[in-house]
Amino acid sequence: MAAWVKGGATDADAAVQAAAALLSSAHAPVFAGLNAEVAAIRAAYDLAGRIGASVDTAGGDATYADLGALARVGAMQAPPAEVVGRADAVLLVGVAPGRSPLVERLRATKPVRGRAAGAERRILSLPAGSDLAVAIAHLRAHARGHLTSDAGMMETARALSSALYGAVLYDPGELGTLGIEMLQGLVMDLNEATRCFALSLSDGGQDRAALQVAAWTTGQATRVGFGRRVPEQDPWRFDADRQAEAGEADAALWLASLPTARPAWLKTLPTVALVGSDAAPDLAEVVIRVGEPGREVGGVLWNEGRAGLSYRAPEQAGDLPAAADIIARIAAAVAGRGAVANRKDA
Amino acid sequence: MLIRIQGGRVVDPTAGRDAVGDVWVEDGRIVQPPPGAKPDQTLDAAGCVVMAGGVEVHSHIAGGNVVTSRLLLPELYISEAAPEGHPFAHAGGAAGWIGATYARMGYTTAVEPAMPPVHALATQLELADIPLLDRGALTVLGNDDHLLQILRDGEGKAAVRDLVALNVASSRGLGVKCINAGGASAFKDGALKLSLDDEIPCYGLSTRRIMGALLDAVEEIGVPHPLHVHCNNLGLPGADDSLIATLAAAEGRRIHFAHAQFYAYGVSDPENPMTGGFRSAARRIVDAMMANPQASLDIGQVVFGQTVTVSLDILRQFGGRKGAKPKKWVLNAGDAEGGGVVPFLYRPKGPTSSLQWAIGLEIMLLSGDPERTILTTDHPNGGPFTQYPRIIHLLMDKEARDREIATLPGIVRERSEIATIEREYTFSEIAQLTRSGPAKLLGLDDRGHLRAGGRADIAVYRDDPDRTAMFTAAKYVLKDGHVIVEDGQVVDWRAGRSLSLTVESDKAMERRTETYLQDRYGQGLDSFAVPDAAFAKDQPVFEDVACRA
Repeated sequence: MAAWVKGGATDADAAVQAAAALLSSAHAPVFAGLNAEVAAIRAAYDLAGRIGASVDTAGGDATYADLGALARVGAMQAPPAEVVGRADAVLLVGVAPGRSPLVERLRATKPVRGRAAGAERRILSLPAGSDLAVAIAHLRAHARGHLTSDAGMMETARALSSALYGAVLYDPGELGTLGIEMLQGLVMDLNEATRCFALSLSDGGQDRAALQVAAWTTGQATRVGFGRRVPEQDPWRFDADRQAEAGEADAALWLASLPTARPAWLKTLPTVALVGSDAAPDLAEVVIRVGEPGREVGGVLWNEGRAGLSYRAPEQAGDLPAAADIIARIAAAVAGRGAVANRKDA
Repeated sequence: MLIRIQGGRVVDPTAGRDAVGDVWVEDGRIVQPPPGAKPDQTLDAAGCVVMAGGVEVHSHIAGGNVVTSRLLLPELYISEAAPEGHPFAHAGGAAGWIGATYARMGYTTAVEPAMPPVHALATQLELADIPLLDRGALTVLGNDDHLLQILRDGEGKAAVRDLVALNVASSRGLGVKCINAGGASAFKDGALKLSLDDEIPCYGLSTRRIMGALLDAVEEIGVPHPLHVHCNNLGLPGADDSLIATLAAAEGRRIHFAHAQFYAYGVSDPENPMTGGFRSAARRIVDAMMANPQASLDIGQVVFGQTVTVSLDILRQFGGRKGAKPKKWVLNAGDAEGGGVVPFLYRPKGPTSSLQWAIGLEIMLLSGDPERTILTTDHPNGGPFTQYPRIIHLLMDKEARDREIATLPGIVRERSEIATIEREYTFSEIAQLTRSGPAKLLGLDDRGHLRAGGRADIAVYRDDPDRTAMFTAAKYVLKDGHVIVEDGQVVDWRAGRSLSLTVESDKAMERRTETYLQDRYGQGLDSFAVPDAAFAKDQPVFEDVACRA
């Protein structure tokens, strides 16, 4: 097993002990990244719950753009295979959806199921203007007949209203909570007369896997803190980047068994980094190389094409440890140090 | 390890037992009293009622809809500080909380009734994180394009059987359910209402045909649990006609009706069927069940207060969206059914919710066979399962019922019989309603009773005239012969098993399905699988349940 403490190569036990020492001496540790297989995410929540850490994910901002709208107005949505199979009109909102491989497939195929089967598929777009949320509001106003002034908007609104099965694709990070709220309103309005569904495109990370694990484990979404021994969800307070920048966090566990863009604070905050193939000695104070799920170890991952979880067997057998096993060993070492009993509020 | 549960009132209706005595346990099983043997442990049950562990047949405790409901209504449950031994057992609505709360009530088995095969892995992972209980899930079919194509093309019973078997095997289900069969598909094609013989657009099928095919498939495969049916027109005035017509359409085949309370709504004003409200059809439903011993139902009892409704019946959930309180809702038009999540307030003392409350109790109180009349709230749809103790209290105590009825609007007395029913349930009948009935219904012969050879899943309750208190926090609960609850507190955070049916899938159907899935998703059966490797390795997660011979 490859592991480093303060840049120096070491063995597994020493690295695990160093990680446990670092985390158990912290007052406000944050667990971040969580771009990993379900078992590792699950283990991270379990350890966070035991030591009173807070948790955030690599794609937290985009995830919470969707969740903010969901908790305010709800949603009306469909998975990718249904949009491919049924939609005779697809609206791309903003720039990001145009880069999705799903759109290539939509352009190359026709609907094959349901009442629009065999029809031509219209691909429409709502370009990113100065304010995408306002553009959607305008489109919604045209669809409801409150405005008629913009011919392009009228045409798009008519195309969606007259479709048998419409779909509206967006990137939550690009659109933001207010825009998503307006978009869901548009979709709900259209369903008074026909069928239309929103489809939020993810960034390819494991946020949506983490969201499920968080919901069933804590009853809440991903950004949760356990400092008071009760899971408290707060999208602002438990934003890991904000906590690091504000100096609120005094230690971190960075979990990224899949390749993930690294936050700047990794080298400034005392951090235990559990990372896959891009591990390097100077990445953080304690670095432990773990197996990459679906390649070096087996694991359950978010499956973008199916909008669900799938198990991925390893491509080749190796001796790299799974991140969940390392976290379990860290948890055992933390318990061994009596950290839980020594917590101020325990 | 030999355990003696000593001196309690032992209630086991399957053995005609209701008397003070002992129950002996050895190595996880109930045993005959061993002559002259000295127990390793004695549990004092004097002044207590001893029953088999409770068995839940229909409670939404895992899956995509349940996850969505937590995200839509993060404030629905209250979390408290974690107890020793489990960091999330007091996290309201979470898997740990579900297991702990059921266990404290003396329940030891719980079944999630709605597992879409496309999301079986996520549902099974979530179920596996529910501690203390054995759990299982019913595989939902009836709206998936592959099945509907086979039926449309008139391929015959063998093809349907093989596809159903493949889905149960790959999702590791414990049974099969259909939810408003064809309704989700029809909704996606613009329909807003569907009855038993209405045509499902694009397929030329009807609910009757789809359900009939599934009824046959379940019998041919030998699934112990009869087809679990969520009928058309849930919650609408006249829904009693849907349930009765569905029962007739079963043509004598075994059938289980989910949350029957939501169908026991007779039209109140035949001149204005959709606007004149409803009256109780409890007696009509009960009479039909008594005339059809091959049929069973669970209640879906309503309790007052805020909840969230979760259902794969997206046609019905879309129809109910404007009644959402608070005013927000989610509808996922998924790969087959999908799901709808609509928050709902059963207004305390409101006329509609009061009548619903009365009808659920009425069905149980009129029933001549509590073993085929299973207590559920369709958690969380009629209200949370945490209200079972209060419901049991109302069934056992006419005075308590009268006090509650006296606070409710007059419509309850005008449109239901509840106020005139004198019956008080006995402990034996409660055991039938919550133990032996659901265990038999699921085909789990090893539980729901206290006979020798049975699984040592046992609840010991202090006999308290306040039945709500009595059934909320058991004195002892044993799971597989281990004491997991003592004085209402969890003392041993064991994991139960996920019960899954042993079903062989047909190789030709596997190849055919692989082709279908590759065409539709660009991915095959592998991506839908629920392999052991996906679960934590510390102990086995699944336990096999055999099909009927």
